[in-house]
Amino acid sequence: VSEAGDSLGQAPDGMRARRHPWAILGLWGWQTALALGASWPTASLIHAVFGASPRGDAELWVPGGHALLDFLWHDAHALAPVTSTAKAVLLAAAILGLLPMAASMFAMTDDVGERRAFVLLRSISRALRAMPALLLLLVIASAAQAGSVGLGWLVAKGVDMWFSEALGDARAQRIGLAVALVFVLAASGLGVVHDLARAVVVCSRTRALRALVRGARAFASSPLSIWWSWAWRALAALAPVVAIAAVASRIGGRGGFALVALAVLHQGVVLARVALHLSWLAKAMRVVQRAP
Amino acid sequence: LGVFADAGVLGVAGAREPPVGAVGNETPAAHAEDVVDYVLRATLDPTTHIIHGDGTITWRNKSIAPAQELWIHLYLNAFKNQLSAFMREHIGGRGSSTPEEWGWIDVRRLALRRADSPDGAPVIDLWPRAELRREAPDGQVTADPVDASGIASDAGGHAADEDETDVRVPLPYAIAPGQEVVLEVAFDDKLPQVVERTGYHGSFHMVGQWFPKLARLEPNGRWAHFPFHHLSEFYADFGTYDVTLDVPAAFTVGATGALVESRVADGRRIERFVQHDVHDFAWTAWDRYRSAHENIDGVAVTLLYPPGYARLAGRELAALRFALPYFSSRYGRYPYDVLTVVHPPHDAAEAGGMEYPTLITTGGAWWALPGVLGPEIVTVHELGHQWFYGTIATNELAWPVLDEGLTEYAEVDAMAKWRGEASLFDIGGLELSDVAAEAVGGNMAVHDEPVAQPANAFSSGAAYGRLVYARTASLLETCARVYGDEAVARAVGTYARRYRFGHPNPEQLVGAFAEVMGPEVAATLRSALFDKGWVDYAVDEISTHKAERPAGVFDRDGKRETVGPGTGGDGRWESAVLVRRRGNLSFPVDVELTFGDGSTKRERWDAVEEWKRFEHSGPAELRAAVVDPDDRVIVDMNRANNFGRPDGGVAWAPRTLERATYWIQLAIQALSP
Repeated sequence: VSEAGDSLGQAPDGMRARRHPWAILGLWGWQTALALGASWPTASLIHAVFGASPRGDAELWVPGGHALLDFLWHDAHALAPVTSTAKAVLLAAAILGLLPMAASMFAMTDDVGERRAFVLLRSISRALRAMPALLLLLVIASAAQAGSVGLGWLVAKGVDMWFSEALGDARAQRIGLAVALVFVLAASGLGVVHDLARAVVVCSRTRALRALVRGARAFASSPLSIWWSWAWRALAALAPVVAIAAVASRIGGRGGFALVALAVLHQGVVLARVALHLSWLAKAMRVVQRAP
Repeated sequence: LGVFADAGVLGVAGAREPPVGAVGNETPAAHAEDVVDYVLRATLDPTTHIIHGDGTITWRNKSIAPAQELWIHLYLNAFKNQLSAFMREHIGGRGSSTPEEWGWIDVRRLALRRADSPDGAPVIDLWPRAELRREAPDGQVTADPVDASGIASDAGGHAADEDETDVRVPLPYAIAPGQEVVLEVAFDDKLPQVVERTGYHGSFHMVGQWFPKLARLEPNGRWAHFPFHHLSEFYADFGTYDVTLDVPAAFTVGATGALVESRVADGRRIERFVQHDVHDFAWTAWDRYRSAHENIDGVAVTLLYPPGYARLAGRELAALRFALPYFSSRYGRYPYDVLTVVHPPHDAAEAGGMEYPTLITTGGAWWALPGVLGPEIVTVHELGHQWFYGTIATNELAWPVLDEGLTEYAEVDAMAKWRGEASLFDIGGLELSDVAAEAVGGNMAVHDEPVAQPANAFSSGAAYGRLVYARTASLLETCARVYGDEAVARAVGTYARRYRFGHPNPEQLVGAFAEVMGPEVAATLRSALFDKGWVDYAVDEISTHKAERPAGVFDRDGKRETVGPGTGGDGRWESAVLVRRRGNLSFPVDVELTFGDGSTKRERWDAVEEWKRFEHSGPAELRAAVVDPDDRVIVDMNRANNFGRPDGGVAWAPRTLERATYWIQLAIQALSP
């Protein structure tokens, strides 16, 4: 039972992403819809430019990139509003994306036996109520992470300058990068605490600051283990992106079945990454549920 | 004491046989005409960054006229103050920032040594009479006049009042044609913080344009001299450089020419470098250098690089392994036994990307991504200068197109042969070629200014880069794609071999093209270089319809027949495409017609006329037409109007939509909470 009195339909052990494929699909659908909306102006522009070519937009993806570079030069003005749209979508995704993410987390706290439509509506309703707390957490965590990375950059720069004369720029910069890595790891730890605090908000309906304290305490109880739970999923989410880039380079500008296959593979990667993200958030909820 | 004196080391390798597959059938000259010899000794103080130099310059008047004066370039004075011609020309490009520390050259002594001088003095001090600074008519920096052959002349004032880079030295008596004189020189250099190719950073020293250097006396008796302009490089006569460098023992030295003597004494390293058949001498000294040595195609290559750059050095060596034999086969055998490649440290990056005889500087960060080929491109480019600047010593002020332009072409060609379509960028499935970037860059400025004009006539550094480098490279690459790579290789190869150790101008380049590829191609090249030539192919109109019987009233066989519009024909389709060539350049192109049954047909258009209508009758409707479907004319101003469909275009952009959606999904996941 949460602090607000709502009951959680799922015991901690039951909060697992794989038991809630509709939550995964929902979040994927949200991201896909946004991405389609953002990419449509680009595709329309290229359709207008290359639609008359028998190869269509395959012109752009011919190795060597002459048509692509020519297009970027000639249509730079048209590209400006297109990229502005994409930026606006990304900004909206960063803020409004809290809602589907929270809804997915709420969905994972519900009993899998309930009707999907009911779960969906209830999850959205709960997510809307949790939005103020989640937004405040986002602001606090983003500021803390930015501060950590910024401080790391400054320290790394200082280390670089300090050692550059004695060791040469390459070695000094490597030391600087190693120092910066410590701050990046610290920022990732802050991100983990942020997610734990979100889990507290979802599971216990607490206010942001209280959730942050509880999240930090939960993290402190077993920091390495919890951080690794996040880290291996983050690394696993990176692997398919790298792998599929090699496939994409082989397919190049081909259309037909090759393009369909590439689209399926790409969406498989996106879906897998969504699943891994929700898997981590489910883990975060289990951690805060079990924390003293 | 280590002495490496060896006639084989000193000599040039011009007599070696060209490799199998070499193009161009002329045998290049084995040696240059020896006009001016420098015997110099330089001592570096790495703390004050001062170089004390002295020695002799032996000069021979190879012109048809007596020389009444000498012109000497003191180009280190370009960095002496903000009133030098170099610093006053605020037009962007390299070296635009004010040096953190000024640099200059003080000539302590310049004396003429001649036993039979008219006044009986064995040595005549010339420096008191030297005109270090001169008033320009309007007190401003003015363009150097350039005569019809493209040689910057000494007619008229063209030095700024405070510029001290171009010095006139009156002679006490005329030096007759064929006569030889010996000058004694002593000078002190104060190196600037690295700016535009030369200077120091910490204990790193890159030393170029560091000694009093004679301008070139043209065969007609006119001195080709000029101040150090912001966008300009250099011009000089060939000769032998015998230079002894004296640096602290802990320093590693790299220099023009072969190391013939090396010893360490009293905490100092003394190294002597000698090279025939060159027209400049540069050197570097640093106590942090790492080095790699490799014999590439019979040339002893030394790569000097900072600590921590071993991986990048490996990439640069790989580029040299391809490019050195490639250039030798294409433009004539590399004529020297040695090549030194210098990778400056990060904080002295502006010393990178420069060419001197047998010594080039390259650049790139130690972490440079393998898929971004900047370090390879810079290395290959600077190596190319060993031909187009090094052995073909054109006037770089008057005709930068002949050194930077041809070198850029050599670079994009070599990179394409080596790395294919991914010769610039190869990450995540996106492959960009060096030449594609040059084609677009060249088109950006084609209407602004001519390509072939003096360096100091360009309005900006950007225009200079786009026209001299990018436009020239993409023009010659277009010729190679249209007329055949072998033909262009023969034309440029003929020019490179014929004028090895010479000082040609653009007429000689165009002449080589006329000789190998014909007058039309030469005329196209001339128009493109001198007259802002451009071209844009376009599909202007396209139509297709089922053949119908001609409508109207017809009197046939004594009967009157009326045929209404739309009366069926024989089932064939009548199609027509109107293609245009806009602009004053002309290259023959293919026009590809694609039909509804999947078949295609190619028509050749010589494009001499400005437009042509292609008509076709066949069993299938015309779906699309493309001018230049193989992208041979890469200087085409607009690729997007090269195709057309009768229906106005129905294809959508599935590949773009798919990829853009995926990339934005990843971006959302990265940015979203």
